[in-house]
Parts: sequence; C-alpha cells; structure tokens
Amino acid sequence: MNKVVPLDALGELVADGDSVAVGGGWFSNHPMAAVRQLLRCGRRDLHAYTVVGSIDIDLLAGAGALGHLSFSMVTLEAFGLAPNVRRAIETGALPFTELTGLGLLVGLEAQGRGVPFLPYRGPFGSDIPQRYPDLYRTVSCPFTGEELTAMRAIQPDVAIVHALRADAEGNAQWDGTSGPDVEMAKAARRVIVTCEEVVSRAEIVASAHMTKVPGYYVTAVIEAPFGAHPTSHVPCYSSDPWQLLDYAAAAGSENFGAYVERLRTETEEAYQSRVLDDGRGDVLCSLAALSQPLATHESDLDLTEA
Amino acid sequence: MPYGIHELMVARVAAEVDGDGVVVMGSFTPLAYAAYMLAKLTHAPDAYLVGFDAVGMAPIPLSFTGAEAAAYKGAVARWGMLTEINSIHLSNHGGVEAVSSAQFDGRGAINLSAIGPFEAPKVRLPGGAGAAEVIKMYRKMVAYFPHHSPRTLVDRVDFVTGTRWKVGRAAREAAHLLPGPVVVVTNLAVLVKDDDDRPFRVESLHPGVAADEVVAATGFELEVGLHLPTTAEPTAEQLDLLRQRIDPLGTVKIDFVPARERLAYLKGILDAEWARAAGAAPAPARGRA
Repeated sequence: MNKVVPLDALGELVADGDSVAVGGGWFSNHPMAAVRQLLRCGRRDLHAYTVVGSIDIDLLAGAGALGHLSFSMVTLEAFGLAPNVRRAIETGALPFTELTGLGLLVGLEAQGRGVPFLPYRGPFGSDIPQRYPDLYRTVSCPFTGEELTAMRAIQPDVAIVHALRADAEGNAQWDGTSGPDVEMAKAARRVIVTCEEVVSRAEIVASAHMTKVPGYYVTAVIEAPFGAHPTSHVPCYSSDPWQLLDYAAAAGSENFGAYVERLRTETEEAYQSRVLDDGRGDVLCSLAALSQPLATHESDLDLTEA
Repeated sequence: MPYGIHELMVARVAAEVDGDGVVVMGSFTPLAYAAYMLAKLTHAPDAYLVGFDAVGMAPIPLSFTGAEAAAYKGAVARWGMLTEINSIHLSNHGGVEAVSSAQFDGRGAINLSAIGPFEAPKVRLPGGAGAAEVIKMYRKMVAYFPHHSPRTLVDRVDFVTGTRWKVGRAAREAAHLLPGPVVVVTNLAVLVKDDDDRPFRVESLHPGVAADEVVAATGFELEVGLHLPTTAEPTAEQLDLLRQRIDPLGTVKIDFVPARERLAYLKGILDAEWARAAGAAPAPARGRA
C-alpha cells in the first residue's frame, strides 16, 4: 500500500479543531515542514501536544493556529522564553494545560497499551496534578497499598513526527534523536510521518534495527528533506541557531505578523531556497558531520579515528 | 590561575558528579553540561551520561550547533524519551541532576511555571519538562543559580512545578527514593539540605564572600555556622580542561553576562561556530545521512 503523499496534502489529513501531537524535543527534530504547511493551509483551533516544544509550538501559537496547548515545556533555551506562547498565556488568549513531562509520556504510553490509565510514582508535592483532576488522580496499589499517581491515557487525533527515512508503507526509521516520536505515534488515532527521504522497502529491510515505527501505525508518508529545519535532524544536519535567533527577534517584535505572512505565502521550496541556499544548508550538514566527542582515555583508540 | 565565578561554579557542581547512577541531560544548560563533562574527564570517568537520546555518551565539547551530533557519535545506544524515563528515572537509576529555575525555596521546591497567578501570570515560564517528577527521584539534587538573590531564592515559590518532596534519609527510603542531599551552588556560596526538619545550611562561602551577604541575599532561613570553610577554587587542570577542551566557545558564561550584552555575546559564539563549519571540508549531500 502506497501511503506517500505530497506535503501539500497535509491540509486534507489534519482538520481544524484536531488535537495534534508534535514530535521532536528542544531544538531537535521537530516536524517543521509540516508545521509550516499547517500555517499555509490556515489550520485553526488545533489542540497541540508537545513534551518539549520550541519554535514549532511558538510558531503555531504566534500564527493563531492553536485553540489549546498541552505541554510540559516550551522554550527557546539560550534564545529566551518562547515569546508567542508567553504572550498568549499571559494575556489569557490561549487556554492551556501544563503537564508534568513524565506524566505526559506515561499518558501516551497508557493509550499505546490500550489501558485507560497507568500508575506511576508521580509528581508528588507538585502543584500541577491538583489542577487537572481529569488527568491526574491517585490510586492505591492493590497489593501493597502504596499511593501512586494514576495518569489518564492521552489520545491525540493526529501525531506528526519527522523520521530519517520511511518506505511507502510507512515503516519509519530514526538514527539520531527520536525524542517522544514513537510514543506519540503509538497513542494517536492517525500518524503522519514526514521524512528526509522516502526509500524502498529493501533499504528499510537492510537496516531493520533502525525501524522504530512500523507501517501499520502510519496513515501517510511525506518526503520532506530538511523537514526539521531550523531544528536539527542528526546525523544529517545541525540546528540552525542563526535562523532561531532571527525567529526569536521576530517573535518578540511587533512585526511578527509579517514573519508569519511570508511563511504562509511561500512554498516549502521557496522557504528552503531562502534560508538554505548560498551554502547555508551545506554548513548545517558540515556542523553535524564534523562534530565529535572529546577523546578520553577509554575512547582514544576508536574515536580519534572516526 | 585567575578564574571566573562561572568556572568555580562548574567545578563545584562537577564535584557532586560520581560514577553511581545515570546523569541525564535535558535542556541545553551549559553550566550543568560543562560540570558533567569536567567530572567525566577528571574524578568520575565512570559517570554514565545520557543526553540527546544518546545513551552512555562520551564527553562532548559544548556548542549550540554541534553538541547533539557529538553526543550521537559517542553513544553506545540511542533511545527515545519513554524508554529513558522507564529505564532511568522511574526505575531509580538517576544519579545526579543539576537544575536551575526562576524561583527556588527552602523546601527544595522549584518554579519553572509562572510568576504571579498560574492562570494569568505576570511571567509565563517555560515549564518544567520532567523536573516535576525527576528532581525527587535522583539520588542527589543539585540546583545552581548564577545570580543569588532573594528574588530567586525565595521564602515560598509562587507555584510548585516540582519539589524534592522527601529530603532526609529515612523519609526518602520509606518513599522508595534513593537517599541523598539537595546541594545548591550559587555565585556566592554552597547551601546543603539533608534533613526535612532543618533549614538549608551554608556549607561553604566562595572566596571573598561574607556570611551576612549570603543571608541577606537568601529569601529562606539558613543555618550559618561560626567557622565556614571557603569553597575550593578551580584547579589549573580544571580550568585548562574547561577553556581548551570542554567549552572553548565560552557557552557557560552566557548566563553570567549582563542582560544587555547577552545577545552580542551569543552572536559572537555563533560567529565562531559558523567559521568552524564554513572553513571545513566539503559537506555531504544535503539532507542525506
């Protein structure tokens, strides 16, 4: 079964009002080509789920695409607080649910396993659980009586994740960081895999140990080279802190509407040629290729030759 | 050898890192990362590091563009977040975690959520990621603050994103937690708490800092001994490792430069990273492994 569709078809796969789990974490491997496409097709009122979002979530918030945000962190790290998320919450414009990071992952796992909740040793002492009794309750261990946190199963309508490669059936592989992508894919009703490259089944078979999401979970496959930019997709390319810096400046200014409008009205090809041509994309690939760990006494022999 | 306060803090945080349990790196917090690398290269070669999903990673040089790829290359396994929390935090394999936060209080609670009312905050903060659960789970909690002030070290945090919850040995063991202290390293002093019923005590003062200065800058009660030791200064070997190998770009200092200089400082680091890559060998074909 051929599930490959063009990026332009994303609007048919995600509806206004859907809950959407967005993969990646920090500045790694967010499905940014898909995020930009959601802006282009004008999606509104989305309920985004993120474990650790950055530019992906802040951009969706700043473009007015979100009706609700469920998150355990949204940060631009060295580039500051996420300006649009911050503004939207401080002004009351964006309803939100602040989850604990492990709670969110345990909730996704519960859904993936097909149970209504899972117990774990939760965020005892935190002020978060009492705010959300529809998500966090306590439960006693039936064997020992120990009080545990019960985390309700979380089922997003759609998960969008960015993989290294996938075949037409949706068998998807990661080599570097996969973050929360697998647990999001297993919990969601529909799964959209964007990937650096669509490959043959034979190529997947030849590296089967790298397959993390098998095709039966996957609804659609979209080839999106540089599809995580300006976040990283290791080992292909590093994050693009120069673009992130531009983003942080734009998002903190009065002119963010113009930044969004440009993204909305240019194709993905035009975006990439604007931000990656003149050798900029090659520099990001070089940064990923060149970066090495420090040699240590135990690794001197093998790492210095890598 | 002359040193900066950020270097003393890195060395002091590094002193808490040992080979017992796993050290997990979340957000790219250069001071914590530098401390882990320094420990791994000096007194704690058996420290087991996990960062960017790279399990058992080799120490890496710090940078905004290369840290993740370097971690990837020196790892013995690569997991995702769910496997990590199941295999490290929830199974009590967490050794040491160094965190920072907008507010911290005398109970060992952190606020990474909101300044002011939670639903309509004055400042919406990033959120805690896994900190809500994991700061109680690690054997040792280390909290570091580049600017020790009563605005950061407060009597009570506005919102408890997460907390150490149980502090003393007996209370921690009864709650199935590994026993270990809360250690606070600031630009002025080191504070330690290892008993639920007693406040933080001043463990040491940094060179040139007086005890009353620390008390005045702290919003919660402190136990202050009569004869307080001076925090160890970083050694020449540590400074050389930090400057030449671990952090030649100076990423740790970014949290210590004045706010108005921060952007220019960050751009300087990025210029250096660009120059390194642009002057390098031909890149692989775009977007391909």
